[in-house]
Amino acid sequence: MTNAASSPILAERLTRHFGDVKAVDGIDLVVNDGEIFGFLGPNGAGKSTAVRMLTTLLRPTSGRAVVAGFDVSTHPDEVRRRIGVALQDAAIDPLMTGIELLHLQAVLYGIPANQTKNRAGELLERVGLSAAGDRRVGTYSGGMRRRLDLALSLIHQPTVLFLDEPTTGLDPMSRLTLWEEVRRLNNEGTTVMLTTQYLEEADQLADRIAIIDKGRIVREGRPQELKAGVGFPTLLISVRKDQTDAARTVLAEFGDPRPTAEGTLGVGLRGGAQMVTDVVRRLDDAAIPVVRLEVHEPSLDDVFAQATGHRLEGDQS
Amino acid sequence: MTAATLPIVAAGSPRGTRMAIRQTLAMAKRSTKETFRQPALVAPSMVFPIFFAALGASSFSRATSLPGFPKVDSFLQFSVAATIVQGVLFGSVTGAAAMATDIQNGFFDRLLLAPTTRTGILIGRLAGSAIFGAFQAAFFIAVLWPFGATIRSGFGGAAIMVVSGGIVALAIGSLMSAVAIKTGSAEAVQGSFPLLFVLLFFSSAFFPRETMTGVYRRIADINPVSYLVEGLRELVVVGYSTSAIAKAILIPAAICVFAMLVALGQLRRRLAAR
Repeated sequence: MTNAASSPILAERLTRHFGDVKAVDGIDLVVNDGEIFGFLGPNGAGKSTAVRMLTTLLRPTSGRAVVAGFDVSTHPDEVRRRIGVALQDAAIDPLMTGIELLHLQAVLYGIPANQTKNRAGELLERVGLSAAGDRRVGTYSGGMRRRLDLALSLIHQPTVLFLDEPTTGLDPMSRLTLWEEVRRLNNEGTTVMLTTQYLEEADQLADRIAIIDKGRIVREGRPQELKAGVGFPTLLISVRKDQTDAARTVLAEFGDPRPTAEGTLGVGLRGGAQMVTDVVRRLDDAAIPVVRLEVHEPSLDDVFAQATGHRLEGDQS
Repeated sequence: MTAATLPIVAAGSPRGTRMAIRQTLAMAKRSTKETFRQPALVAPSMVFPIFFAALGASSFSRATSLPGFPKVDSFLQFSVAATIVQGVLFGSVTGAAAMATDIQNGFFDRLLLAPTTRTGILIGRLAGSAIFGAFQAAFFIAVLWPFGATIRSGFGGAAIMVVSGGIVALAIGSLMSAVAIKTGSAEAVQGSFPLLFVLLFFSSAFFPRETMTGVYRRIADINPVSYLVEGLRELVVVGYSTSAIAKAILIPAAICVFAMLVALGQLRRRLAAR
């Protein structure tokens, strides 16, 4: 843990209202130098609004944020010179080629003309788009666009990189490729703040995560620590609709109820996973046939459910 | 990855100014490339004005003998200025709609994330429109001249008309960009196109004001499009004179300054609302 004052990303009571809606409601954040920080939450939780404030695209309603050593409200240009940002929708002009966009980006960041060609070539190679660099972006697949977006955000060698839902809508292969690249960048020393609604992504990539819901950070810590904090494994069962109440009563004998998606009952098994057979036997004794049964070791979804009262996985599209 | 190696350049310093110019030129280059890569959008603004000029030349040739009509070789010669302004009006909508699309699809945010001047983002886009407007003017002159639309001010006058075409495009592009920035909607920009069409038809583009009467004349008298057309027309049908140059350059330039202030005001408001 580094000193908060020298952290690449620091937010104190950061707030943004849109009329009566509190999109981000007084969040505090400290991202340490060289870590991958995951910002996990469902759609509309306030992740993107927070990132837009941290990257100078939105003014905070109140609170403050310091990124790469500069206050985002008073020194936005200093912040912009030091950060790389890949926004949610990979906003890339489809009429331009990959190389043309990299050259434009280089000019926008004041990179001397004699360095631009080499830098663009290096980045295209890095993200595996050398062969497609001369093609118009309109012909790229979703994964290629994301990779080009990442290359564009790296043109000026930023010290802090913001990735706003970088893999949303990507196929599993493209997602893995992007994860590898994020890890590689991080190993080279870049601090990464990653927003995601994918539990696995946060679990796989992030050194630490913050869970945001309805504009507030509800949990923060290392994924392993957060999962360990949930405690017991979760048993999820489905029964016939008319037997739901009876099944709920039976499950209450084995532990506390856990929030679940609709149509499923959940319980935190006090006695551990070995209690599953006892639960099934007890349900059988009560003439409640089990339609479906799953046991989950504590996951980030359990952490999320414990903190918010609802599950993230049910919200994902 | 090493630490950021970007030079820190103070805004307003000579180096900062050079960088701002380089950034604006790069955005103008992108805007121009983008325009010419959409032939389906470009073609109507090149073809329809020529079509209207040909239609007018074949239908209104006897109108040139009306009292109040300037001395011209043909109606086609009279139509050159209107053809240029018409084409530029159409073309400017394309540029402004592209700016609205940038806002809609998030590319505008990408530009805002870079340490660029906010004004440069707008000027770069508008400079692209100006380049396209100048290209249109050159194209219309080149196409119509061999068919009898002689430019009496010669090649020098034609060059001034090309520059004027660029300034007119900058003026109209600025106004339409104000709509784009205000609404952030390409549909809203396209939707305001009929207004430009009305302005064109209630101007002296197709007939001189001296031949008009009543409400039509009064509207044409206060319609800025009349003055945009008449400046260019003087170079075509009268010849090379200081007054003709002043009208062809200064009137569009004055409208351009006003329109750019409107567009910059909209941009400031949009950014302040963030």
